[in-house]
Amino acid sequence: MPDARTLTAATAALALAAAFTPTPWSLAPGLLAGLCAWRAYRELSVCLGRSESQKCALDEQLFQSQKLAAIGEIASGIAHEINNPLAVITQESEWLAHLLDQPEPPAAEARDSLATIRSQVTRCADITHNLLGLARTWKPIRQPSDLNRCLEDMARLVERDAKPQNITLERRYDESLPKVPLDPPLMRQAALNLLVNAVQAVGRDGAVTLETGRTSDGKVFARVADTGPGIPQTDLGRVFDPFFTTKAPGKGTGLGLSITQRIVDRMGGLISAANQPGGGAVFTITLPLQDTKTENAP
Amino acid sequence: MTAPVRLLCVDDEERFVTTLSRLLALKNMAVTTALSGEEALGAFAPGAFDVALVDVKMPGISGVDLLTELKKRDPDLEVIILTGHASVDIAADIMSRGGSDYLLKPCPTSEVEAKILSAMERRAARAGG
Repeated sequence: MPDARTLTAATAALALAAAFTPTPWSLAPGLLAGLCAWRAYRELSVCLGRSESQKCALDEQLFQSQKLAAIGEIASGIAHEINNPLAVITQESEWLAHLLDQPEPPAAEARDSLATIRSQVTRCADITHNLLGLARTWKPIRQPSDLNRCLEDMARLVERDAKPQNITLERRYDESLPKVPLDPPLMRQAALNLLVNAVQAVGRDGAVTLETGRTSDGKVFARVADTGPGIPQTDLGRVFDPFFTTKAPGKGTGLGLSITQRIVDRMGGLISAANQPGGGAVFTITLPLQDTKTENAP
Repeated sequence: MTAPVRLLCVDDEERFVTTLSRLLALKNMAVTTALSGEEALGAFAPGAFDVALVDVKMPGISGVDLLTELKKRDPDLEVIILTGHASVDIAADIMSRGGSDYLLKPCPTSEVEAKILSAMERRAARAGG
């Protein structure tokens, strides 16, 4: 059977012949041109269907390999984050056994070892709980809410820890903001994650600024800026990756920002990380004012 | 009694490095600890240590870069890398940079001790020609 290209060329030649041949002699090439056109159309439909299914298969392969790469990265992160506290527990329990083998076991030192083991178990539990949070299917219940209020609730909470370190929390809320369709508990969790990070980044005598407002394209934003060391340029693209952390061992699971990003995404918004020109990091959550995002996605 | 093994133990997990060094001290080892690559390089002098036990993931100089620097300063030093996650790529990278061996955390102290003693045997064999 001739292919689509030959049939198309034959159609064109026959149509041309029909156009330059006087009636009734043009009828034969005209009919043949129609037949070729119909065959070419059928042939092209089959080709299109075949390439569409090939494209679907390739898309599926790409999706699967990306999924496997992501699983590999997360598994590697989990292994590292869990194996470190497990290593502390392993050596600490051996030390505890050594202490208990003494004729007169030093009770205070043994208790210290036990406390270390307990704290490392908590560290492992924090990681697994946060992982469950990351894997959880969130179905946000979006209701018109006061964005400033959500931020302020968390700011007050964080301020209790920040004050003894002389860290100031400056508020620059846009009081004219309309109600925003968001899930208040999830928004509070996202805000808390950003505020805790900011307070840890600035350390003693630092400053954290909370700001809300409208963007030029009709959305609203919530911004948390700090006077800390900022984010190294090379790390900016990785801060939302699961298990990426610049904190000391045991101080962060590297899951807070991943969870925050997921929450914001579920609320139909976007989150970005940047460095301020004058120093320090700034995280901006942008949310739509209309309820547009499909919320039941996993 | 043989001379104690002079060990440099580098890991940013302070409690891990402290307890491991106490346990290894019970096994006739003189352990110097460092909590970062920078601190380790500050404490290091060629010929001062027999073996270095180095964690891979540390803020600042990474364990793999520290391995390269230590081997540059003292080619006879045996370097064992500690890692929280094993991968063929990391193992290959460690070996290509002159690392003696690598250990996957968590591991019992007896395993750490066995790796160190095996590294000491290699060091003695090399010195013996």
